[in-house]
Amino acid sequence: MNGVFEAMDLIRFCRNLLLFALIFAMATPVCAGVPTEKIRETTEKILSIVTDPDLEGPEKEEGRRALIRGAVDERFNWEEMSRRALARHWRKLNDTQKKDFTALFAKLLERTYLDKVEDYSGEQVTYVNEVIDGEYALVEVKILTTKGTEIPVHYKLRKKGEDWRVYDIAIEGVSLVNNYRVQFNDIITKSSYEALVKKLQEKVAEK
Amino acid sequence: MKRFDIELTVGLFIIAGILCLGYLSVKLGRMEILGGKGYEVYALFSNSGGLKDGSSVVIAGVDVGRVKSIALEDYQARVVINVADGVELQEDAIASIKTKGLIGEKFIEITPGGSETVIPPGGRIRETQPPIDFEQVISKYVFGKVD
Repeated sequence: MNGVFEAMDLIRFCRNLLLFALIFAMATPVCAGVPTEKIRETTEKILSIVTDPDLEGPEKEEGRRALIRGAVDERFNWEEMSRRALARHWRKLNDTQKKDFTALFAKLLERTYLDKVEDYSGEQVTYVNEVIDGEYALVEVKILTTKGTEIPVHYKLRKKGEDWRVYDIAIEGVSLVNNYRVQFNDIITKSSYEALVKKLQEKVAEK
Repeated sequence: MKRFDIELTVGLFIIAGILCLGYLSVKLGRMEILGGKGYEVYALFSNSGGLKDGSSVVIAGVDVGRVKSIALEDYQARVVINVADGVELQEDAIASIKTKGLIGEKFIEITPGGSETVIPPGGRIRETQPPIDFEQVISKYVFGKVD
């Protein structure tokens, strides 16, 4: 069984790498409805930040990351993702706790993936399909890595006012929200919500 | 007369036995584990991967329903499941197809969501995850890494 876990780590690593590769790869729209356009906008915004010569170099890192974070914040609905990840534990929180958790979760995802954003190396993104069903939309995308592997990535969006915001990403069919939902639930039921928060804070703080 | 009585009795017992057997078969065949009719919801999967009518539906390891039917709809698998009464599915619950045991039997696992809205009878579980072909995924990434 150990082999499977190593393989899973490997998969997770590559997944993470490509999850953020996709956010800033060159986009080739095939069928561009509004949700697809929104994804492409954010993708290209981040791409332009990462390839901007004025923002290159480790001394510009703070500013560059703040810009990337800003672009991602526009497109991702962190509150909805937090609610879905905490699932039935969400309603037990008061408003302050909800706000704090949303910020912590966003920071966790940022800490986990932002490093790799800057590792862009020419991955291609093709927009394969878009399905809109009322206030929900699915944007299917394929990332072509430099090694020739094709990774299917599905963005799940929900309409918020006039805007479309991402509430989940599925890579190779595996949902990000479901992944955290299971882990958060395990920790909360085995220990407590406070223990989960502490764990996440530790994870965010480690470098 | 005596012979006729015995034969009659034996005959009646056999008929009673067959009726009981029939009743048992029907009951077990319908696999009513829930007692009570339950309600139906459906979900669309890009791939139902070996899921069958009668496959279990599980939450937190507990059987809460059965797959009632699987049909092709718009090139996706439309899976109708029968859920026990009293088990609520939130609007953002996620249904995944997983594999159980050595035989590789497929079942649906539902992780409860955090929404206040509940999926009504006849409603749809929107968030689904198809079965993951581990071998395919591993080979994809292993190949990618060996450089």
